[in-house]
Amino acid sequence: MTLSDKLYKWFDERLKLSELLPPIVKHPAPENVTSNPLYCLGGTAFLCFLILVLTGIFLAMYYKPTPVEAYKSVERIMTEVPMGSLIRSIHHWAANIMIAAVMLHMLRIYFMGAYKKPRELNWVVGISLLLITTTFGFSGYLLPWDQLAFWATKIGTGIAGSIPVMGIYISLILVGGNDIGPETLTRFYALHVLILPATVAILLVLHFLMVRLQGISGRL
Amino acid sequence: MALKDVERHKIDEPEHEPVRVRGLPFFPHFLLREVVVMCLIAGSILLLASLFPASLLKPADPFDTPSPIYPEWYFLYVFGFLKFWIWNIGPIEAKTIGVTLPMVVWYGLLFLVPFIDRNPSSDIKKRKVAVALGIIAVIGVLYFTYFSIVHH
Repeated sequence: MTLSDKLYKWFDERLKLSELLPPIVKHPAPENVTSNPLYCLGGTAFLCFLILVLTGIFLAMYYKPTPVEAYKSVERIMTEVPMGSLIRSIHHWAANIMIAAVMLHMLRIYFMGAYKKPRELNWVVGISLLLITTTFGFSGYLLPWDQLAFWATKIGTGIAGSIPVMGIYISLILVGGNDIGPETLTRFYALHVLILPATVAILLVLHFLMVRLQGISGRL
Repeated sequence: MALKDVERHKIDEPEHEPVRVRGLPFFPHFLLREVVVMCLIAGSILLLASLFPASLLKPADPFDTPSPIYPEWYFLYVFGFLKFWIWNIGPIEAKTIGVTLPMVVWYGLLFLVPFIDRNPSSDIKKRKVAVALGIIAVIGVLYFTYFSIVHH
């Protein structure tokens, strides 16, 4: 008996691996899925999310969410921190590709009619993920606190603030005052590194569980 | 190719007629392909990040409005529609409509797609209306994105 067999047996006796694993491991991926590259879009978005979490953790180690320090800390990431410029650029590109991939994934589902019974709820979770992914991008855009960040956020919060009834509240919650300032920055930071990642993670678990439960459309 | 025939039983059918699904077993064959695709995507991101690094402009200055200013590319269509819609409808201001349609109504419709489209067929030839509406929506979003860049 090799060491790996012994280890497997140890965990198997405690976690019932031999009952849990085969349905996952031996489950066949349907042929129409493995032969059509359009089915990669959702996975691409998920991979981008993983890359974003990883690079985001590194950026959070150096970033300081105050108007005085924010710009300087990003400048330091770009010039002094080893590989900092690369990590931030990967974060930037993965974010844009993730948003594009989520949108294209939605278009595939729409045009293939894959949202029909019994997958209606998974479509709703998917649209929530699209909405959250764009909010994610929007909240991250302000953090470098440069001219582009500041004025793009000015437009964005202005547009959100013009929505009837809810607008003033959305704007007040996001901006945290009358104008974009220190409160806005910490709010966007909390949103970007705590609230949104947790929400996306929960919704992704639901999304994948439902794919598994309901099967992939057009498989039979 | 490690294709595998798997027999599946439909429980609700009395004669238990097997349904054949041709496909790759998830582990290791399908996962290996996924890993290859993931490496390609991760490599592309690395290449883009090295060739076109993320920018950092001048520090934010609330008293210096740059021109032109744009929101993120995925919100350009909202920005474009807001500029496109200049007509008041009765007591409702043009600006309110310009924001509500592309944000609230648009996302509301997206959420409700499976409940609006009750056509059970997923054959593209049998859902001409849904496909036509989808194409119109895509062209609309692209047009308003273009509009926001031209009319800044």
